Parts: sequence; C-alpha cells; structure tokens
Amino acid sequence: MSAVLRTRTARDLIVVIVVVFGVGSIAMLLAHVSPLIGFGALFDGAFGTKSEVAETLVQATNLLFPALGIAVAFRAGLFNIGAEGQLLLGGFAAGWVGAQFPLPGYLAIPMVLTAGTLAGGAWGAIPGFLRARFGANEVIATLMLNVVAMLLATFLVTGPLQQGGGGASETATLPKAAQLPDLIADSRLTWAFIIALVLAFVLRWVLQRTVFGYELRAAGDAPLAAKRAGIDLGRTAFVAMALSGAIAGLGGATLVSGVLHRFNIGLSPGYGFIAIAVALVGNLDPLWIIVASIAFGMLQSGGIAMQAEAGVPREVVSLVTGLVIIALAGRRVMASRRTT
Amino acid sequence: MRRRFGSVRAVDGVDLSLLPGEIHALVGENGAGKSTLAAIAYGAVRADEGTVDATGFVGLVHQHFKLIERLRVWENVLLNREPRRGWTIDVAAARARVRALGERYGLDIDPDAVVETLPVGIKQRVELLRELDREPAVLLLDEPTAALAPSEIASFFATVQGLAARGTAVLVVTHKLTEVIAYSQRVTVMRAGKVVARHLTSETGIDQIAREMVGGDVPALAARATTVATPLLDVRGLSATSGTSELLDATFAVGAGEIVGIAGIEGNGQSALADALAGLVPFAGSADFAGRPLRADDTPAARLALGIRVIPQDRRSEALVLDWNVRDNVVLGRQRSLAPAQYGAAAREVIERFDVRPPNADAIVDQLSGGNQQKLVVGRMLAGAPRLVVAYQPTRGIDIGAAALVQSRLIEARNAGAGVLLISFELDEIFACADRVLVIAGGRFVGAFERADIDRGRIGTLMAGHR
Repeated sequence: MSAVLRTRTARDLIVVIVVVFGVGSIAMLLAHVSPLIGFGALFDGAFGTKSEVAETLVQATNLLFPALGIAVAFRAGLFNIGAEGQLLLGGFAAGWVGAQFPLPGYLAIPMVLTAGTLAGGAWGAIPGFLRARFGANEVIATLMLNVVAMLLATFLVTGPLQQGGGGASETATLPKAAQLPDLIADSRLTWAFIIALVLAFVLRWVLQRTVFGYELRAAGDAPLAAKRAGIDLGRTAFVAMALSGAIAGLGGATLVSGVLHRFNIGLSPGYGFIAIAVALVGNLDPLWIIVASIAFGMLQSGGIAMQAEAGVPREVVSLVTGLVIIALAGRRVMASRRTT
Repeated sequence: MRRRFGSVRAVDGVDLSLLPGEIHALVGENGAGKSTLAAIAYGAVRADEGTVDATGFVGLVHQHFKLIERLRVWENVLLNREPRRGWTIDVAAARARVRALGERYGLDIDPDAVVETLPVGIKQRVELLRELDREPAVLLLDEPTAALAPSEIASFFATVQGLAARGTAVLVVTHKLTEVIAYSQRVTVMRAGKVVARHLTSETGIDQIAREMVGGDVPALAARATTVATPLLDVRGLSATSGTSELLDATFAVGAGEIVGIAGIEGNGQSALADALAGLVPFAGSADFAGRPLRADDTPAARLALGIRVIPQDRRSEALVLDWNVRDNVVLGRQRSLAPAQYGAAAREVIERFDVRPPNADAIVDQLSGGNQQKLVVGRMLAGAPRLVVAYQPTRGIDIGAAALVQSRLIEARNAGAGVLLISFELDEIFACADRVLVIAGGRFVGAFERADIDRGRIGTLMAGHR
C-alpha cells in the first residue's frame, strides 16, 4: 500500500502548487480579495519578520512530529488517522507528569518528553494490537480512537487527575525546569524544532539502513512476499503503530513543554490531520517531510495574517489543505488502478 | 503492423493473413509480441501503424478468462446483447439461445449455472460461447489449453476443428509445440516483435520451430549426476487448505538428492501443498523433515530456518518487492542472517550465477523482464545451500533460455544433495527434470511413476481425474 502512495515527488509538487495557488485564488476571489494581496499577506505573515519566521517554524514543528509518525505507519502499509488523538494524550501525559512531579531541569524535560512518548505509543499500540491480533482495520480504529482520546483526556483533566490552578480543562502550569528552552529569544520556537529535525534524520536512517526498517518497508510494499520471507506481519503492524503513536505523542509533549507550558484540551487545532497531508506531500520520506512541514507551517502561521490584513477567511487554509489531501490521494488511487 | 510500448517494439512490422477454414498457429516465446498482435487484431490494443481487415466479427478467447464470476452462464454469454422485452430481459429466450448455441457447436452447458461454481474447462466453454454467439469470421484463441487436462485438450480442438470446417478462420496463440503440430495447418513464428518464419505445418517439426523461436539452439539442461536419495521429507496423511485449494490425505516422500515432480492441472490442491510446506497454512497429518516432525503450525520463518525454501507461483506478488532494487530483493528472507554490508555481495553472487540482466544490483525489479525476475527469485531461494526446495511453477511465463537456466540450477541443487519438490502444470518440464513423478487430481495423489517408467498417456488420464 505504501508503494501506491509513494510516487514521483516532482509531479506531486506540481499538483500541490496548482491546488494551493489555483484553488486558493478562486477562494480569495469569492471573498472579493485579489489573490495577489491575499497571498502577499500570507507570505508576509509567514516570513516578514524574524518573529514571524519563528512562528512559522513553531507550526512546522507541531506538524513535523505527527507527520513523521504517520509516515512510519504508512511505510508499513498502515493508515494512521489517529495521530491527533495520540498527540493529544501525549500532551496530556506530559503536562500532568510535568506539573505533578517537580524535578531538576536535567531530569524534568526528559521525564516530560518520555511520558508523552509512552502515552502516544500506548494509544497507537491499541489499533496496532487490534490489527495484529484480529485483523481489525486500522483506519477505522485510529479514527474512532481520536474521539475516545479527546473524551478520555477531558475526563482525566477535569476529573480524577485534576490539578487545579489553570482553567477547567487544563493541567497546572509546568515548572520552569520542565519547559523546553527557547531557540530564539522572545519567540515560541524552542529546542523542539531541533529534536524534530534530528528525529527525521534518525527515522530516515532507521527505515533505509536497519533490518527493522527493511522489514517494515517490506511489510508495507509487498505484504505477501514479506510474509513468505519470514516477516511477522502482525508484529510489524503492532510495532509500527506503536512507534507511529509514540512519535505523535512526543510531538504533543513538545507542544506542552515548549509552547503552551501546560496541557489544554484544545492544544491542537488539528495538527494530527493536517500532518496526513504533510506526510503525503513529503512522499513519506522523512527528509522531504521536513520541507513539507515548513510549507504547511507557513500556511498555518501566514493564514492568521492573511485574515487580519487582507480580510481572507482563515478557513481558506483548511480548504486548501483538505484539497491537497484529496488531490494527492486521488492521484495515487488512479495511478494504482492503471497499473493493476 | 507496428506497436511500441515505451522503448520496446512489441510488434515490429508484422504481416499476417488468416484464411477461412484454417487453424493457424502463432508461436513465440513470452514477450515475442504474439499476444499483442492478437490484441491488435481483436481491437483491444491500437496499432501505431498498420491495418486490420476482416470479413466479419473478430472474436477472442483470453488466456485469463474475462468472465463475471458471480453471474450465470447465460448472463455472461449474452452480456450487453441480452434479448429484451421492453424494459426487461427475456430470460426464457436468453436461456434457449445459449442452449441452442451449445448444441450447435457440441458444447454441452447449463445456461443457469453460476460461473464461479464451474471448473476451469467449462469456464472456457462459456468464454468460447460468448464469442461464438456473435458468429465470428475470425476467432483468436490466446493460450487456450493452458488450464486444460490432456483429454480436455483433445475435445477442445475437436470443437475448434468443427468451427474451422464451417469456414471460421482460427488463430491459436500458443507455446505448446505438440499442439501446433497436431492441430494446425500453418505456423507463424515470432521473435522479438518480428515474424522469423512461416511454415505449412506438414513441412516442419517441433525441433525446427523451437530453434526459430529461440533464435539458436535450445539450451541443454544441466547433466544429472548419479545420486542416491536419502530420506529428507516424509509426509503421511497430510491435509491442508489454502484459499480454495484443498489437499487431502497426501502421503509422499522427497529424498535428499532427488527431484520429485507433482504433475497436475491447475487448481487440484497444489497451492495448498506448497503453502502448507511454506508454513503459510497449518496442516493435519504428520510430516517428518530430516528425522524430526514438522510442527503443523510453524511460521514461514521457522520453515526458512530449517532450510525449506518455497519458490511461489506468482513471483510478482508473492516473492518480489517490485518497487525495490535487485540488491534488496535478493536478501529478502535472509535480511536477519546477513549484515547490511553483505547485501551487495549476495546480490552480485545471484546476478552472476543466474545471469540476471541487466547485471545491476541497483536496477528496480519491476523493470526487469519476467525471466530475469524469476531468475532473481530462484537465485535467492537456492542461495546458501537449502535442504528442501519447493518449486511451484518455477518457469511460468518465462522464455526458453531462462527456463532452461532455472531448471538446470534446480538439477544442480539436486546433484548437490538438496531435495526438490517440483510442482508444475507443464508435463514437459516435469519429465525433463524429475526423478519420480506423482500425479495429483482433486486434491489427492492418484499415481506414482519412477523416471524410467513414465507413461505420458497414463499420467494424462490420471491428471484428468480418471482412474
């Protein structure tokens, strides 16, 4: 399946550019705004000043983690639509643990990030287990678990694990020691960006150079051949989903530790879903996903400026993102039909 | 006629004429362009250059039937030509028409049978009737006997001869030269997109046609060393199911240093046998391997570790990762026992020993020809001295040169002391390679022959399910 989803990047890039600028222009015209002014405001808002660049990279980081997780699942032939829920629970675990156990700096940050990774990994492991044990469709399982994750986090943060201090659906604020240090002073950009970049390079190496990565890709690209070659498809699916969820959960943890400094139930405006498009545009290759996440980060951060300065509704960005997913997925389904 | 696919000249300047009432054989190796030529004549593929003239409808019976499995026979035969009564289909008239058609051509059939319930030979009848309903002036048959038992082949050609006697021009696309000699009046030989010879069948022979197909002498197989088979695999009362394939109560043995051929028509339990040995499906009964019982629920990994290698029937979906390069495909199944640094050397070894072309470890496997893909698969399976090799249709759809190389390597593995179970639908392949022949029909072993006592006629009868 992942082979189907990985096609020539160059052509996909053209599709993306046509969708973004073509459909974006039409939407702006419908809002009675000149596309030149609209896109001008978008780019200016994303890259105009140092702090705007920093904010673009913050958004890129928040997309990069779940996109890398989704890509790992995709490469194993699994469609993880549950990154949003994995990210949310990772964020909750990070926020709760971080506020609950004040530790010195060199321990606090690793503890917070580990908690998020484990929670996200556990949430990803559930559909992985269901798939491995019962052959349950992971698309439906992960999609449903997003809702469960939201309800579970709401229940925990307002109920048994309530910490007080913040608002009703928040954990307490993390102590300074548990907050990721800034990369650029007076911005929200933290070391999370560097962690995400390193993670992308590590994942690329794992996928291309290790036996684990080899077996994962074999299971995704040719499951029948992989099975005959002694690769345990169930185990691979379980591990890939757990790893996928862990990476998304780590993303949630960095969001809490670096950006918000507490867990809030509304911490993600849908990063886990937008990240599907990021992973696809990045051709499921961790290094290209870095590029794609910056492009989508630009849309996210520039979209606010576009609304404020050009009067283009911010929803245009969501519209364009959704159409990119449909266009790329559609193109690939068509391509696979032609070859079979 | 000319047709290119990318840079490949599939059909390159071919002229072919068919006369009313003749059976004309079109032969050539895989990839010679014969199926493309037939598809152009039928109209399914457009020619880049050239024209097709026919005095009437051109019908085509496909090698892989184009039937709608869940519909009834009459629905398939009359698809899109259903007799109508206003807005509805006149079912009674449709049934009668199909029954009359069958009687007219001596093809007995139940119009109401659902196609998926029918055996292969009858399905082919449905496909044939669908074309005959349009009273074709020209009938193209693409590898029509690939799935038929020897006895069914004779009756199939009796029908075809009847058609020809009524004035239909028949083109048989095939690679089975014995049928060419037995049933055709003229032969056209293609190689690499071009016609290389035209003969009256009565004036030529199998050897000459084979040489023309290959473009030289047919390569000889590796010599068979004298070996003494020692016990390796001992199977008693083995039953297994894989998909629709069912193996019932099989008892047989394969010794180290011998090739045991399983002769049978496709769909008689061969897949269940191969999959049970590969560890893909569990089995009932007992099987001893090298003196120890095989666990009935072993994983494929456990069987690989024992030294059992299964060359699957469908290399593209079951053996290869098509998007990957040759190097990564060569080590599939050995990825844990080899260090990544050794992958290159392992690939070079297989490329060299099996003459994989292009000899480039970085070539993407999907772009290799079928023969080279298969050489890669067999090379991978034979690497590292396996103890038992199960070869399921190891030369399916590949050219004669590649097939000879694959068969030679299997014989060499036997000479070196491996046990080989050769499951094939091609009797010629089994007779060329096997030390012993077992016949399978209806999921059961129905006959056993030593190499010295092979009786082609008797084996053919047993394969068809007659005792």
